[in-house]
Amino acid sequence: MKAIQVQRTGGPEVMELEEVPVRQPKPAEVVVKVAVAGVNSIDGYFRDGRYRTPLPFIPGQEGAGVVTAVGEQAKTVKVGDRVAWSGVFGSYAEFVVSSEEVLVPVPGPISDEEAAAAMVHGLTAHYLANDAHKLKAGETALVHAAAGGVGLLLVQMARAIGARVIGTVSSEEKAQLAREAGADAVIVFTQQDFEPEVKRLTDGKGVEVVYDGVGKATFEKNLNVMRQRGMLVIYGMSSGSILPMDPTKLLEKGSLYMARTTLAHFTATREELLARTSALFDMIAKGRLKLRIGKTYPLAEAPQAHRDMEARKMVGKLLLIP
Amino acid sequence: MKAIQLKQVGGPEAMEVVELPVPQAKAKEAVVKLAASGVNFIDIYFREGRYKAPLPFVLGQEGAGVVSAVGTDVESVKVGDRVAWIGLLGSYGEYEAVPADRLVAIPQGVSDQQAAAAMLQGMTAHYLSHDTYPLKRGETALVHAAAGGVGLLLVQMAHNIGARVIATVSTEEKAKLAREAGADEVILYTQSDFEAETKRLTGGKGVDVVYDSVGKTTFDKGLNTLRLRGMMVLFGGSSGPVPPFDLIALSQKGSLYVTRPTLLNYTAAREELVARSSAVFSMIAAGKLKLRIEHRYPLAEAQQAHRDLEGRKTTGKLLLIP
Repeated sequence: MKAIQVQRTGGPEVMELEEVPVRQPKPAEVVVKVAVAGVNSIDGYFRDGRYRTPLPFIPGQEGAGVVTAVGEQAKTVKVGDRVAWSGVFGSYAEFVVSSEEVLVPVPGPISDEEAAAAMVHGLTAHYLANDAHKLKAGETALVHAAAGGVGLLLVQMARAIGARVIGTVSSEEKAQLAREAGADAVIVFTQQDFEPEVKRLTDGKGVEVVYDGVGKATFEKNLNVMRQRGMLVIYGMSSGSILPMDPTKLLEKGSLYMARTTLAHFTATREELLARTSALFDMIAKGRLKLRIGKTYPLAEAPQAHRDMEARKMVGKLLLIP
Repeated sequence: MKAIQLKQVGGPEAMEVVELPVPQAKAKEAVVKLAASGVNFIDIYFREGRYKAPLPFVLGQEGAGVVSAVGTDVESVKVGDRVAWIGLLGSYGEYEAVPADRLVAIPQGVSDQQAAAAMLQGMTAHYLSHDTYPLKRGETALVHAAAGGVGLLLVQMAHNIGARVIATVSTEEKAKLAREAGADEVILYTQSDFEAETKRLTGGKGVDVVYDSVGKTTFDKGLNTLRLRGMMVLFGGSSGPVPPFDLIALSQKGSLYVTRPTLLNYTAAREELVARSSAVFSMIAAGKLKLRIEHRYPLAEAQQAHRDLEGRKTTGKLLLIP
């Protein structure tokens, strides 16, 4: 099969299309023909060596496709089933071999592109709005990078719950997208300091929750824009790692809460994974959650997809088609 | 009147008995003749200078007594009312002028000494178990220093909610007290490692919440005893402050939550202060919350009270009786 291989860590150019054998599935594994693979920032972290994995490797963790072979102990899926996944290494390829545990069924109305685009960003937005902090109608949420992959979906989910959403974005064009997704107020942080603006928009009271995938660049100010007993949910650090933190700060800023979350812990059991994906697919099928697919690339153009992702100019999900 | 004043920060000997004029009530204040003043760790922090106040000042932040005079604008209390309060410096004295909106009424069935003993520790145990992490029946809580002032009350409240309580204590004598308060399991941390023991007691799953007032020596291990998405409630630092920690630990250990609450933020609104103190007083009057008033010292023996509290030999509440 054709697959993108990384022989040494580095820039987008280290990803090369190569011919590699399809691994034999173990008894509880299945082989899936990849229809669409999702491109995520974490793929870039593995590619450039920030996150480590033995070389060589096939990048990619997210996709959708059709089961083509099953191990003798596989029980939940059969050949021909449409499935989607996140957290399966080696998705930038024509075939991926996976434990059946992490595969979820894709219902009829959901396309392969939609399923692949929704797994990481959609499930992340879902656990953030419903579990990491259980948003309630009438609460105010600050969503950073509101026109980003998770952001656009999180804004929609927060609005569907009945929360007020303040979004931050880097450009007027992205502000427009965040507004279309339902943001009640949008701050273009390149033009305006978000801290005083959030305070102004909340009459000095602050927000109930901050959803932050940015990390270092927003951290200190985040602590100043929450109401007493507010919650800061950090789900990513795209601007770099937050420095070690003195917990006394949480006391000084008003008995704040902080969590550093990751999707795997919100899909840790099979039941939760299935419940969350079916809730997500249901929202998509009913038109209550609009996915924005930015661009699809042939598998061989994975380097260009990473360049576009890292230039931060693209809006919407980037997908590879093997 | 007699009062315990601090002219310079330092050890217990820095506290002096002085003669001061009885305070006059400003327009919105009431003057209270103290029946009892609570001795708390926060008093030691102020005495040592870890927390700052302009010198000289009268120590003490918790008291109960009878209103002896009211300011011109005060309508909520009258002379002769039994009242209690916390969070304002000056209770180590025979009289204190207190803003009327910080006073709560002491109901029948609760003595002045009980009220003084319950304000800080009782309301702290209440907000920790009912609001910071609202414990539910069937959940498991790890309570450090379970035979301490807050600990013994927190164990009782958690037990009354129907939660399972794992307690840590330093001696067999304290273990007995924790068991009497309702702890299901007691770990003598001087004899066995609480991390390993807590994991064993929860079948490797971990606890839903850790209530930690010890800080430096327990924080890191405490994170290891939490279930996925569990919460660390750090509400004190009796072993020293927790040093800055890397947030990545929270995601690596299971998308954990950390909060550093303080009672002030859980009694900030008048309605909340009244509701919380009433709830605690009701528990006391109904016999559902047993206070352990261990020592009553004459006001002039405040130095000895501090030495006893710092020596960690005490297991219940210390009161100064003017």
